[in-house]
Amino acid sequence: MRFIREFPIIVALSFLFGLAFTGLVLAPVFASDISEPTPKLVAYTPTEQHGREIYIREGCVYCHSQQVRNVKADQNMVDAYGVSKSGDYFYDIPHLLGTSRQGPDLSNEGQVWGKASGDFAREYLIGHFKNPREYNPQSIMPSYSYLSDRELEELTDYVQSLGAWKIAPEATETTAEITPTEAQS
Amino acid sequence: MTNPSPLTTISVTPPETAAPALRSDDRLTFPKMIAIPALERRDYAMQTWLFSGVFWMVVAASIGVIEAVKLFYPEFLQGIPALAYGRLRPVHVNLGIFGFMSMGYLGAAFYMVPRLTQTALYSETLGVLTAWGWNLNLMGGVLAILMGLSKGKEYEELPFPFDMMVGILEILIAGNLFSTITVRKESRLYVSLWYILLAIIPFPIYYTLGNVMNFRGIEDAIVNWFYSHNLFGLWLTTLGLATLYYIVPKQLNKPLYSHAISFLGFWTLAAFYPWNGGHHVIWGPVPEWVMTASVTASIAMLIPTIATMVNFGGTAWGTQGVMKRDISYRFSIVAYLSYVGTSLWGSGLAIMDLNAKLHFTSTTIAHVHLGFVGFGLAGLAAFIYFYLERSLKRGYSRKLAEWHFWLTVGGTIGYVVSMGWLGWLEGSEWASGNSVQGVMALRYWYNVARAGSGGLLLIGQLLLVWNIWKTMTSGPSEGLVTGMASDESNTLKEGAAV
Repeated sequence: MRFIREFPIIVALSFLFGLAFTGLVLAPVFASDISEPTPKLVAYTPTEQHGREIYIREGCVYCHSQQVRNVKADQNMVDAYGVSKSGDYFYDIPHLLGTSRQGPDLSNEGQVWGKASGDFAREYLIGHFKNPREYNPQSIMPSYSYLSDRELEELTDYVQSLGAWKIAPEATETTAEITPTEAQS
Repeated sequence: MTNPSPLTTISVTPPETAAPALRSDDRLTFPKMIAIPALERRDYAMQTWLFSGVFWMVVAASIGVIEAVKLFYPEFLQGIPALAYGRLRPVHVNLGIFGFMSMGYLGAAFYMVPRLTQTALYSETLGVLTAWGWNLNLMGGVLAILMGLSKGKEYEELPFPFDMMVGILEILIAGNLFSTITVRKESRLYVSLWYILLAIIPFPIYYTLGNVMNFRGIEDAIVNWFYSHNLFGLWLTTLGLATLYYIVPKQLNKPLYSHAISFLGFWTLAAFYPWNGGHHVIWGPVPEWVMTASVTASIAMLIPTIATMVNFGGTAWGTQGVMKRDISYRFSIVAYLSYVGTSLWGSGLAIMDLNAKLHFTSTTIAHVHLGFVGFGLAGLAAFIYFYLERSLKRGYSRKLAEWHFWLTVGGTIGYVVSMGWLGWLEGSEWASGNSVQGVMALRYWYNVARAGSGGLLLIGQLLLVWNIWKTMTSGPSEGLVTGMASDESNTLKEGAAV
């Protein structure tokens, strides 16, 4: 039977692949810091989730990471907002960690242009989506003026939610107090 | 070697090149049942795959140039949702992976398998139909991404049902090639077949895992890069190396330097590559041991890299004469050097300290393009010229091929150097406290250089298309223009079996 000749190769290859599969795919499921949300982390509201879908659709992730690493290059962000932990991403399905920084990291954008800054921050974000070069002539971000007003609002809600939970008041159990999205939009 | 053990059955030189006659085995009734007479031409499946790959390569390169221009002149084609950077980028990448590299090298696999096994392809009809299915499916998937239906994670953007169709078609392709290998007449398995087996068998597992669902948070990221890196390591790299292992000894008309080393290279690659996925999240929010395992495996990839380096280097040593006259072989050398370069670079980027500096920078983009263009494109070009001349016995335009070669080499160097150096500068700036916004001015001319290099690459590939078109429509030539096959005596060495 000629098949027998390939058979040991296939068994050996399956074993090697299975080993990596077990180590990299199955084992992390049981790591507790992955399966638990960070304290204070809140789920996305429906509008934020819609905004997140627009973020995915328009491919924002290809230029913007959402991950602060404990390295020298991220030192300013580490000092200001802390290092990203696996529990921070508990509600991120799919993940949007990103691999490239054509533009700045956005994992704490909800603190940079947060809701606390009121209408000013919102107007900035929406205006920047529509025409980034009006705010920064060197920006190479595409203009998203083709998004509807509603989509821009939702995207803004999402961006303002990023990392905002970290500075939310302590001892909160409900999400409603921290993310009064409906009230603002 | 009358009855060698299965784990050492590598012959040193690929066997005879002539494609075996079709429909030679009476035991196989299924392929006869589905046979469509018009498609049952020798090498028809292989040609469909190969030339589809070339088509998608040109499309992917064109989109790449448009994107590159947008990176220094963002108003270019602005305001059209389907042509926004964030939608073109996944299209460029998916066409590069599933169009150009997958289809082109599957063409090479459909060429090599019947010849290395001395057996007619299990089903030419199935091969052609899967190729067209793949083409239409990819077209549909890419249009869906342009319409904003992307799944949103790197290399798994194709939405349902196009993503699942890729998996189903791959199983049919694997079945076709695997059946041919199983009923083969040549009992020895040449190293290329090993790589092809490694490419076609695990694909459905990690492809399905990566595409079928989203996991939660960081688990999703880990699965994403497990899938992505296997797509490069176990699918594209193996198909590419299989092709190089096949064509280089034939171009030189001498056996491979050492089959023991290809044995070592193959098994270490199979052992370490699947662990590499985690190196995309070094310093990231993942469990420490995921990082440690991936960094270790990435650095262990030096073993298969050095094995391949020594093996091809030893085979190619002292062949400057062939290099000068045979463009196809010259492309093989470019592919070989780029493969070694990309692999060493990849291992380097997984070193914690370097990763801290260079992750998120343009260096990664340079690394990927050295792999896809330097290795993938040059290797495919080597195979195409080899195929036109040695298998079809048609002379292609030497002049166009020279231009193609130098434009490709120039474009690749321009691209990799501009982006690699820019990445280093970005990493240095960021490490010294500068922000992403702070490097925008620095990037400008590097991005212009990138677009220029991409333009050179695109022009080169258009010349390749033109050359293929002219060659294929002109019919067989009497005398070979490049004079390669007629001048082989000086490289013929003891033990060369052709």
